[in-house]
Amino acid sequence: MKPRNLAILLTTGLALTATACGGDSKSSDAGGDVSITVACQPAKTAPKTRKAWDDDVAAFEKAHPGVKVKSTDQQPCFDPKTFAAKLAGGQMETVFMVPVTNYADVIAKRQAKDITGQTGLVKNFGDIKQDVRDMVTKDGKVYGVPNVSYSVGLVYNRALFTKAGLDPDAPPKTWDEVRAAAKKIAGLGAGYVGYGEYGGGNVGGWHFAQSVFSRGGEMVVDGKAAFNSPEGKAVLQNLHDMRWEDKSTGSKVLIGWETLMQQMAAGKTGMMLGAPDVVTDVVQKFQGKAADYGITGIPDGKASLTGGEAYMINPKASAAQTKAAMQWIDFEFNTPGKGRFDFARGKANGEAVGVPNNDYMGDSATGKTLAEDRKKNAALPVENYEPYVESATGVALKLEPEKAQELYAVLDVAMSAVLTRENADIDKLLSDAESKANSILAKS
Amino acid sequence: METLTMEPKRQLAPRRRPPSKRRRAVRRNLTAYGFLCAALFCFAMFAWWPIIREVVLSFQQTNLVDPPTWVGLDNFRTVVDDPAFGQAWRNTLAFTLLALLCGYVVPFAVAIVLNELRHARGYLRFVVYLPVMLPPIVSVLLFRWFYDPGPGLFNQVLDFVGLPTLAWLDSTDTALISLVIVATWMNLGSGVLIYLAALQNIPGDLYEAAELDGAGILKRIRHVTIPQTRLILLLMLMLQIVATMQVFIEPYMLTGGGPENATVTVAYLMYQYAFVYGGNYGAGSALGLMLMVVLLAVAAVQLRLTREEK
Amino acid sequence: MVNTTTRPEEATKTGAAARPARRGDRKKRRGGWADGHSRTIVSPLELRSRWGRKIYWTLLTAIVIVFTLVFVFPLYWMVTGAMKTGEEIAQMPPTLFPKSPDFGVFADAWELFDIGTLLRNTVFYAVGAWLFALAVDVSAAYALSKLRPMLGNVIMAGMLATLMIPPIVVMIPAYITVTDVPILGWHLLNSPWAIWFPVAANGFNIFLLKRFFDSIPDEILEAAEIDGVPPWRVLVSIVLPISRPILGVVSIFTVVLVFKDFVWPLLVLPDSEKMTISVGLSQTAGAVTQNQIMAGLVIASVPMIIVFFFFQRSIMAGLTAGSLKG
Repeated sequence: MKPRNLAILLTTGLALTATACGGDSKSSDAGGDVSITVACQPAKTAPKTRKAWDDDVAAFEKAHPGVKVKSTDQQPCFDPKTFAAKLAGGQMETVFMVPVTNYADVIAKRQAKDITGQTGLVKNFGDIKQDVRDMVTKDGKVYGVPNVSYSVGLVYNRALFTKAGLDPDAPPKTWDEVRAAAKKIAGLGAGYVGYGEYGGGNVGGWHFAQSVFSRGGEMVVDGKAAFNSPEGKAVLQNLHDMRWEDKSTGSKVLIGWETLMQQMAAGKTGMMLGAPDVVTDVVQKFQGKAADYGITGIPDGKASLTGGEAYMINPKASAAQTKAAMQWIDFEFNTPGKGRFDFARGKANGEAVGVPNNDYMGDSATGKTLAEDRKKNAALPVENYEPYVESATGVALKLEPEKAQELYAVLDVAMSAVLTRENADIDKLLSDAESKANSILAKS
Repeated sequence: METLTMEPKRQLAPRRRPPSKRRRAVRRNLTAYGFLCAALFCFAMFAWWPIIREVVLSFQQTNLVDPPTWVGLDNFRTVVDDPAFGQAWRNTLAFTLLALLCGYVVPFAVAIVLNELRHARGYLRFVVYLPVMLPPIVSVLLFRWFYDPGPGLFNQVLDFVGLPTLAWLDSTDTALISLVIVATWMNLGSGVLIYLAALQNIPGDLYEAAELDGAGILKRIRHVTIPQTRLILLLMLMLQIVATMQVFIEPYMLTGGGPENATVTVAYLMYQYAFVYGGNYGAGSALGLMLMVVLLAVAAVQLRLTREEK
Repeated sequence: MVNTTTRPEEATKTGAAARPARRGDRKKRRGGWADGHSRTIVSPLELRSRWGRKIYWTLLTAIVIVFTLVFVFPLYWMVTGAMKTGEEIAQMPPTLFPKSPDFGVFADAWELFDIGTLLRNTVFYAVGAWLFALAVDVSAAYALSKLRPMLGNVIMAGMLATLMIPPIVVMIPAYITVTDVPILGWHLLNSPWAIWFPVAANGFNIFLLKRFFDSIPDEILEAAEIDGVPPWRVLVSIVLPISRPILGVVSIFTVVLVFKDFVWPLLVLPDSEKMTISVGLSQTAGAVTQNQIMAGLVIASVPMIIVFFFFQRSIMAGLTAGSLKG
C-alpha cells in the first residue's frame, strides 16, 4: 500500500460518513408513493419462513400500489438494549414490535404513535380480547395492535412420563404432584432431571414470579414488595427440597433463557414452567421430538403470568405512512388465512403449527376461525396441548410487576441460593429480597 | 514503498527567499493542525467528550429522546442503595487480588524459568501466547463447557484422578475463582512475554558478579533479577489492576452475576443499569464515574512510585 | 529500560534476542547448549555439572508437558469436541478421540452462526480500522513530533491521559455519543464508523509513533523543507519508509484489538447483519448444540491464529513496546 493513499482514504472516509449519515432519513410523504420499514422479518437461518415473509411483502405491495415496504431482521426483534437509542437516532422502523413487559414504558415515554383514529384499518381489531387491548390503551388512547397473548403453563415430556411410569394424559395439577413426578423422573438414572429451573440471569427471578402467581401470591401490591408471603416461601422451599432432598432438579445452574429449553429438548428433563411458545422453540429451534412434548395448565392454577407482544407505530411516521403501516399490520398479522395465519403454508414449510401459542382473539368469531384453521393444519399433536387449552380459560391473568427486571435480579439471588446451597435460609433470603425490592420500588 | 526521491526536485524548485520567521511559524502551525484535525476530531468526540459526559450524565436522567433532566445526587443514591452495590465492589476487589496473584506472580516466575531454558523456547513462547490471540469469547465459551458439572472436562479429570468434583460456576464458593482461572488462562501469555523481554535486557555480567560474590540462585534472583526489572514489575502491577478492574465478559457470559451475586462486578452492574434495567443511563454513569475515580487514583499512585523509582 | 522502545535499531535487536540462541560470542565446546545463550541466572558451568544437567532436562521436560497440557490441550479438546456427536460429547467419562470424527459439523456451524457474514463484517471492520487509524494517528504523530505546533504538548498530554481511563468505564457516555454525535448529529449505530472513530482515538498508538518519529533526525526533514518539499510529501516519502517496524506494530495492535473486542461491538453493532464474530457467537451460542458451539469457536479462532503465525515477530515486538507505556 502506498502511504499516500492513507490521506486520500481518510478524506474520502470522512466524506462518506457525512453523506451516509445525512442521506438516510428521507421519507416520501409527498405524492402518492409512501415507503415504510417493518420489523421482525424472519432471520436468514430460517430460509423458508423468510421467503414466506418476502412473498407476503410482495403480495402486500401489489395490493397497495404506491406503498414500498422494507423489512428489517434484527434478532431478537425487540432489543431492550438498543431500543431507546434506535428511536432517538431515527433508526426505528415505522412498524416495530414491543413485548408486553415494555408497553407501559414505551407509552409513557411517548415512543409510540397514538393510533386511536386508525384502528379501523385493522379489520379484526374489535375481535381482539378486551383485556389484551386494554394493555395498549392509556387514557382512552390506543398505542398499538396486540399481536400475541398467552399465559404460562407447565411444559412436560410425555415420553419421560411414560418411561417413569406416570400417565402422560394426567399431568400434575398441583405443585405437590409436580414434585412427586419430578422425583420419579429423576429416578430414571444419571443425567435425568425431573423439573428444570433457572437460577440466575434475571430469568430465575422471572420464574419465581410465575411460581408465586400460580400459588395465588403477589409480587408487588401498592408499590410494596408482596412476595415475602407464605406463597413465596412455599416456592423456594419446594424448589430447595426438590434440589436437595429429592435431587430432582439437576445440579447445573441455568442462567440463559435458552439453556432450559435446550435441556428440555435434549430429552432428559421432565418438566419446566413455560408458555406454549416454549414447545414451539423446543421442537423447532432445538430439535426436540415433536410427539414427546405436551403442555398443561400451570400447577395450582391460581393465576398465571401473561406474556405477549404488540405492534406499534413510530411516533415520527407521517399520516400516509401510518395508514400504510396499519394496513400492513392488518394484512400480515390479523387476517385469518393470510400472512402469519396462513397455516397451510406454515405447515408446508415445516413450522410447528398446532401449538396453542396465541389466544389474543379469544372466543370471538375471528378467534374461533383461527383456532379451527390451526387445528386443521396442525403439524404437531394438538391433543398434547388440550390440557393447557382446557385449563387456560379458568386461570386469572397477571401482568409483570413494575420494575420487573430489577426485581428479577434481586430474586435471582434467592433462586440461586436455594439451588446452590443446601443450608440456604429461606426466611432470610425472602426478607432480604423484600427490603431490597422495597428500596427499588420506592424510587420512581 | 517509496524511498528518498528528492534529487530531481532540487533542480525544479528554485530556492525562494525564506519568508519571515513569524509567517513561517504561522504556516507551520496551520499545517500541523491540518495534520492533527482528524485525530483531534476523533479524540474530542470519542475520548474526551465521553469522559466529560460521564460526569454530566451521572447527575442527569435521560431517555435519549427528551432533553435530560438534572436529578442531583439521585443516581448515586440509587446505585449505593442497590443491594448488589457493596457486593459488586467486594467482588471486583477480590477478583483483582486473585487475578494479581495468578496473573502477576505466576507469569514472572514462568518468565524466569523460561529465560533459563536453552531448548524449546520458541515453542513454549508460542504456546503460552496462543490463548492471548484468541478472541476472549472463544476462551470464555470454551471454559463454560469445561466447567459443566456433568460432562465438563474439569470434573471429568477430577473424577479420573479420584478427586471429588466441584460445582465450579454453580457455587458461591468457587464461582469467582472459576472466573479468575479463565481470565488468567487467556491473559497469562502477554505477561510472560513482557517479563521475558525485560529479563533478556539484564546484563549478564551482573549475574557473573553476583556469582563471584557467592550468591546462590535464589539470591541472584533477589539481588539482580528483581531490582533490574523493578520498573517493569511496577508498571505491570498497575496495568494489571486497571485491566482486571474492568472485568465484564466473564460474568456476563458465564454466571450472569450469580449465584447469589457472587460474581457481580462493577462493570457488570453498570451494564445492567444502562442496558437491562430499562435504560437507566444516569445510574450506570454514576457507577462508571466511581470506577473512573478509583482507577485514576491507582494511576496516580503508579506515577508517583515510578517517579520515585527513577 | 524505559528508553528501549522500538526505535529502528532497537526493533531488530529485539528480534535477534528473541531467537533461541545467539551464537558467535563464544567458541563451541562439547555440551555447548549450556553456553550458546546470553548469561542468565544460572551459569553455564552450573548447567554443565552432572546435577545441573539432570535438573535441567527434568525441568525442561516437565515444563514442555505442563505447558502443552495447559495451553494446547484445551484447544485440542475444543477441536475434537466439535467433531463428536451430541451423545458422545455428553458422555461420561469422555472419549479422548472422537469415535467417528464428523467434519460436517464445521459446515453446520458455518451455516447456523452465519459465520460467513460475521467474518466478512469483522474483517471489514478490522481492515477499515487499520487504514483509518493509521491515517489519523500517523498524521497526528507526525505533526506533534516534527511540526511541533503551539499547544502540541498539551494535546499530547490530553491524548495520553485517556490511557488512564479504560474504555469500559466510559462505555455508557461513549455509547450515547455514538447514537447522536454532538454538533454533527450523526447516528452511528450499526455503522462501521462506530468502530473506526473510537479506534483511531488511541493515545497509545500516537505515543508510540511520535516516539519513533522523534528519533528521526530533524536535519533530514529540514533539508527537505528548505528544498520546498511540502510536509505531506516529507511524511510520505521520507518518514514513512523508515518507520516500517513501528507501523507494523501499530497495525497489528489495531487489527487484533478490533478482532478481540466484545462489549463495544455488542452495543454499537446490534444488527445481525452487522455483528462481529465475537458478538455473533455469543448471541447464537444459546441456540445450538455443544459440538456446534465448539465448531463455531474453532472457526472463529482460525483467523487470529493465522495472524499470529505470520506476524509473530511484530506482535512480540509490539508487546515489548506495549510494556513501556508509562
